[in-house]
Amino acid sequence: MRILRYWRYPGNWPIFRFDDRLLLILMAAIVGIFSGLSSVVLNRSLLIMSDWLHHYRHFWWFFALPAAGAALSSLFLEKVVKEGAGHGVPEVIYSVSRYGGLLRLRSSVTRLISSCLTIGSGGSAGPEAPVVISGAAIGSNIAKYFSLNDRQRVALVGCGAAGAISSIFNAPIAGMVFAVEVIVGEWKSVNIVPIAIASVAGAEICRLLQGNQIPFGHHVFKIDFLNIVACLGLAVLSAVATILQTRMLRSMHTISHKVPAPMWARAAIGGCMVGIIGLYLPVVLGEGYHWTEILIEGRYGQILTIVALASFAKIAATALTLGWGGSGGIFAPCLVIGSLVGVTYHHLLVLFWPSISWVNEGYYALLGMAGLISGMLQAPLTGIFLIVEITGGWEVIVPLIIVSVVTTTICHYFEPASYYLKDLVDHGHLLRPGTDERILSDLNVSELIEKDCVTVHPSMLLRNFIDIIKQSHRNYFPVEDEKTGDFLGIVHLDDVRPYLFDPVMYDTVLLGQIMRTQVEVVHPDDDVLDVVRKMDIKGLYSIPVVVNHRFIGLISKATILDQYRKELMVQCHLL
Amino acid sequence: MKLTINEVAQSLRVPVSTVDRWIRQGRIPAQRTDRGYLVDESTLEKWAKMYKLPFSSPNNVNTAKQQTPPDNLLPAMKRGGLLYNIKGDDRETALKNAVDHIHFLSGNIKDAMYQGLLEREHLTSTGVGKGVAIPHPRTPLKDLISNAIIATCFLAAPVDFHAIDGRPVFVMFILLSPSTKTHLHLLSRLSFCIRENSFVDFLKTTPDSTTFFSKIADFENRFAIGDRN
Repeated sequence: MRILRYWRYPGNWPIFRFDDRLLLILMAAIVGIFSGLSSVVLNRSLLIMSDWLHHYRHFWWFFALPAAGAALSSLFLEKVVKEGAGHGVPEVIYSVSRYGGLLRLRSSVTRLISSCLTIGSGGSAGPEAPVVISGAAIGSNIAKYFSLNDRQRVALVGCGAAGAISSIFNAPIAGMVFAVEVIVGEWKSVNIVPIAIASVAGAEICRLLQGNQIPFGHHVFKIDFLNIVACLGLAVLSAVATILQTRMLRSMHTISHKVPAPMWARAAIGGCMVGIIGLYLPVVLGEGYHWTEILIEGRYGQILTIVALASFAKIAATALTLGWGGSGGIFAPCLVIGSLVGVTYHHLLVLFWPSISWVNEGYYALLGMAGLISGMLQAPLTGIFLIVEITGGWEVIVPLIIVSVVTTTICHYFEPASYYLKDLVDHGHLLRPGTDERILSDLNVSELIEKDCVTVHPSMLLRNFIDIIKQSHRNYFPVEDEKTGDFLGIVHLDDVRPYLFDPVMYDTVLLGQIMRTQVEVVHPDDDVLDVVRKMDIKGLYSIPVVVNHRFIGLISKATILDQYRKELMVQCHLL
Repeated sequence: MKLTINEVAQSLRVPVSTVDRWIRQGRIPAQRTDRGYLVDESTLEKWAKMYKLPFSSPNNVNTAKQQTPPDNLLPAMKRGGLLYNIKGDDRETALKNAVDHIHFLSGNIKDAMYQGLLEREHLTSTGVGKGVAIPHPRTPLKDLISNAIIATCFLAAPVDFHAIDGRPVFVMFILLSPSTKTHLHLLSRLSFCIRENSFVDFLKTTPDSTTFFSKIADFENRFAIGDRN
């Protein structure tokens, strides 16, 4: 038993007592390996599924397959494991900011299975978000098992996400940047070091099991000045595609919720429509890595109308899959849409300026991918590094940066919150480190309460009250019922000030006549954010805390300032 | 030295629940033991310095809390003693004579004190009525004396003090205190005594020191009862 306990508290091992960063590095490597494994598992099972279903592609009823997959995955999530639909990344971000990264253990497999069903059967979604959830849940639960504290747990959740992304794309830098930029939201070395380790571990596991290859082949482009200028137009086009995708996802979501059918049936309807589109344009089906590769290599070979149509179709198919209840992420569809938009743009360039020697369409496909990823995630660095790494094309870095940054800026203008953060912002749940909301959400009422108030009774004479004023340090005096002890109201020093020097009033005025009833009160379990807001709206400096009609203390703005400052200093110190 | 959570809260001057949360969130470097979390004092001090948080060793916190309450009337009056038959035709000479008679003060302090008393008298009279005056310097004699002193001076003949009720003064309580807080405390108690006419009548009899101090002790007992209520 003792050995087991010793084992479960690595924070007490002599080597880690010396420096707990070493502990975090070790744990990060373990988390990275496990999340890398989970991404390999999903990747393999997707391959097996698509091989297995490949034979049925020629039948006329093929369009029903995505419907069946989406319905099954929705049933699985809703009935078997009882998890919410959607891609799950917002839940991870919320958990990181509010609950110190606590996630359920089952989350590490549920989304893998459900997304495998959706994508494998032809639904248009990405396997990245499920793998990120899985990795994050693995990190969180490893931290829980070894009883690590919140800060370390958050770092390990980030590690899980980094390991997952770096393993699924064999792109360690992209994984690292994604975890810091999107999941943790805090550029501090305490986070970056373990996340980098996990990223490397994840990528290394993937290389061991699947060979060291970049997902999309490397191509050398000869880029002249004109082609760099031209990428500005592509940035605008990909911004349009991003906004279209975001709006469409949201409207599909609203429409599907209006359909009076169980969730699995709605998912089936969405899947069915994707299947029908897929009959004519197979490019929309599945996660589409294969199609992305074809597009980058410039082998798609369709005319402008078809490519443009395919871009729209893919956007629609993704919205249909995810908006109607399928399970999966937005990452891979973004890559396909981006490359389709890029190829469309190339066709347009050739159409309008046929005499200029444009670089081939693969170049624009790459830039389009970067644009879509940066725009959709509002994470320009993730977009830049991901595309550089998965294509090995360092020579396109300048246009990549331009497209990423311009697309992010344009999208930010129309859609201030990214796809991942939209729900959180809408519910006021986005609590990035160092923000006012985060500090107030970390504080709780019990930390701010002051208990040195002297209570008085409504039948007390002003004369006796003056003796109490002499001895107390506060301006507020809660009034309690003599018999029941219930909180009745409050007497402020200002209320008695006019009578203080009038001895005639001393024996004629009772506190019950002076006290303020109708007082705003708060409960110890209330959010400090709500308490502060209440005080701001009503212009109060102090507010009583009351439980079950009992007065237990007072919260004052002075104490809030004191605690808030200390919290700010502790949270926002740059290390 | 290892500190418990309570001691950490004390030394950082934050609630215990905050320390608890900071440890859970991994902000304070703490060690998990069988007796709960422990924090190394020197580590905590370094930590607080890094985050610019106020830190005081828990031992100092305890000593700082044990503040001695300000002196009461009786000891201060015993220190000052009773002076009889102080001569003087006006306020200034009466004060000068009284200060000269306070035997335990050295020469230069007496000068400073006299100047201080005069300065205060010029501001407004310290004659509080009923023939009583409470001369005192305006600023506390922080460096010159360590304990409060009240010298009770009975004048040979009543002197005009420009008192608020115009009556000539027959007794002066020269009040010297090391801090404003003590000064106000003693002044408040003294004025409570003078408010009672019986006490003023008693003073008019020019009592000897034993009866005078026993009278003051009676008052002190009443104050003590009042405090307890």
